[in-house]
Amino acid sequence: MAVYRLGYQRYQGPLTTHWQRLLVLPRYAWRRLFQQRLVLILLVASLIWPLLCGGYIYVSHRLDLLGSLPGNLKDAVEIGGKFFLVFMDVQAVFSVLLAALAGPGLIAPDLANNALPLYFSRPLTRFDYVAARMATLVGLLSLITWIPGVVLFWMQAGMAGWSWFAVNWYLGAGIFFGFALWILVVSLVALACSAYVKWRIVAGGLVLGFFFILTGVAQMVNAVLRVGWGSLLNPARSHYILWSAMLGVDLPPGPGVWPCVIVLTVTALALALVLERKLRAVEVIS
Amino acid sequence: MSTNEIIFEDVSKFYGEVLGVNKVTLHIPPGITSLVGPNGSGKTTLMNLMTGLILPDRGSISVLGLSPRDPEHLMRITGYATQFDSAPRWATGLEFVSTGLTLYGYSAAEVRERAWRALELVGLTDAADRKVAAYSKGMRQRARLAQAIAHDPQVLVLDEPLNGLDPLVRADTIALFRHYAAQGRHVLLSSHVLQEVDLISDQVILIANGMIVAEGEIRDVRDEISDRPSQFILRCRDASRIASLLFNEDHVTEIRMNDDHLGLLVMTRNREEFSRALTRIAVAGYVIDGVIPADENVDALYEYLIGGGRA
Repeated sequence: MAVYRLGYQRYQGPLTTHWQRLLVLPRYAWRRLFQQRLVLILLVASLIWPLLCGGYIYVSHRLDLLGSLPGNLKDAVEIGGKFFLVFMDVQAVFSVLLAALAGPGLIAPDLANNALPLYFSRPLTRFDYVAARMATLVGLLSLITWIPGVVLFWMQAGMAGWSWFAVNWYLGAGIFFGFALWILVVSLVALACSAYVKWRIVAGGLVLGFFFILTGVAQMVNAVLRVGWGSLLNPARSHYILWSAMLGVDLPPGPGVWPCVIVLTVTALALALVLERKLRAVEVIS
Repeated sequence: MSTNEIIFEDVSKFYGEVLGVNKVTLHIPPGITSLVGPNGSGKTTLMNLMTGLILPDRGSISVLGLSPRDPEHLMRITGYATQFDSAPRWATGLEFVSTGLTLYGYSAAEVRERAWRALELVGLTDAADRKVAAYSKGMRQRARLAQAIAHDPQVLVLDEPLNGLDPLVRADTIALFRHYAAQGRHVLLSSHVLQEVDLISDQVILIANGMIVAEGEIRDVRDEISDRPSQFILRCRDASRIASLLFNEDHVTEIRMNDDHLGLLVMTRNREEFSRALTRIAVAGYVIDGVIPADENVDALYEYLIGGGRA
C-alpha cells in the first residue's frame, strides 16, 4: 500500500448562494435565445397587444374624446374584468407560440448530446436542473404575460383613482395568479415535449399540437357527444374558465371551476412525471 | 463510515432485467485505481454509481463519507469526465470549462483563474478560444479532463481518460494523475490499455459480468491466484545448467530456454521456494543477472481471471 503525503486542501473561499448558481443556466439560455431573430420578432409582436390595450385604457379616461360617442359604446369601453380577460386570452396565444419556439431548445439538445451527466456532475440535482430550465421560460413568458398585465392594471388604477382600485384590486391579483398558473402549465408542456423528443423542431410542433389539437379534440367531443365537459380536455379553455372566476366575469358555459382545477392539477402532475422519467443522467435502454 | 475511502457495500444495479453490477463490495483507498474489464462488464456503471448519476437498487455507497444522493456536497469534491463528447456546439474550450465552474458558485474572477489553470494543466491554452466542436478527438478528451479537474476535486473519476491522446500528452496526463495521487487524492479511471494500467495504477479492480473478480495491488492480486504457476524471467550466463538445477525442484512446473541461451522462463507453484532455490544456485557460484516477474501485471491478471476477449 502506497503512503501518501496528504497535501490536498479543499477550497475554503466564498461561494455564491444556491439560487444564484441556479440562475447561471437561465442566464446562458436567455443570452442564446435573444440571439435568435425569430424569438425577438415574436417577443416584439407579443407586446403590440399590450400596447394597444394601454392605448385603450388611456383613451377610455379621456372623457373629452368619448363625449361624442353614443351611450352603448361608452359602456363598451369600460375597463374591468372582461377587458383584462380578453387581454389575457390574446397574450396566452402568444405565450404558447413563444414557448413552442424557445422551450424545445432547453432540454432536447442536452439529451441529444448526452450532456446531462455533465450537469449532474456538478452540485446540481435533477430538480435544480428542471427548476433552472423552467426559470428560463418563466422569465421569458413573464415579459409578455403578467408583467404587461400588471402594468396595465396599475395604469388603469392610476387613471381611475383610488375608488376604482378599492373595488377592483382582485383584478390585479387575478392577472398575476392567473398568468402564473398558465406559465407553469405552458412551461411544463414545453419542457416535457423537449425532454420527450430530442429533435427540436418536432418538440416545438408537439408543444403547439398539445394546445391546438386538444382544443379541436375538446370541441369535437362536445359536439359529437352533446356535452360540455369535453372542454376539460382543452387546457387553454380550463384556464379561461379559471381566469373568468378570478376576474369576476360570468363563467362561460361548460364545466365549473373545480373540475378545471382538478384537470389542470392532474395535467401538471402528469407532465412533471414525464420530466421525472425522461431526465435521467444515464439513459437506460432495455 | 470512512472519510478517506470510496466504499461500496453489497451494491447491485439492474437496468430492467439487464445486470449492471451485482453484489459489489469495495474499499478504494487514495491513489490511482484502475477499473479493468471487458466491454459491458460494469466499469462505467460503477463510475456512475459513485458519482450519483445512477442510484443502486441495493446496497450503499459512500465517497469519503458522503452519499452519492447528495450532489450538493459530493460533487464539490468529485470531478467526473464521462466518455461522451457533450460540450455544447457554441462553447469555446474556455467557455466550456468556465460554464461548469460557475455552477460551483465561485466568483467570476475565481472562475476565470481556475478555468485557465485547468486548461494549462491539460495543455489547451493555445486552443482555449476555439470552439470545442472544432477540436480534434484528443483535444476534446483534454477539454473533458479540464472540466473535471477545474474545481480541484479530491476524487477524480475518469472514463477512458487516455483515449485519443498522443504520447506526449499521455505522459503529461499520467504525470498529472500521479501528482494528484501523491497528494492523497483518489484517481479512479477505466482504461482499455492494459500496459498503461500496469504502469500507472496503485491498485486495480478487475470486473467481469458485473462482478468484481479481483481488487487490490497488482502483486497482491497475483499472489491470490494459486491455481496458476508464477512466471519469472531469469537472465543468466549458464542457462542450461541453471535450468537443470531448477528442474530438480518440486515446485518448478515448466522451464523454457531463450534462443540466446542467456535467459529462462521459469514457472513455479511456490514463489518462496523458488526464491530460496535461486539463492542456493547463486551461492553455488552461478551468475544470475536478473529475475523479473513475468506475470505480475494487469495483462496476466486479465488473462488468468477474465480470459477471452480483451477490454
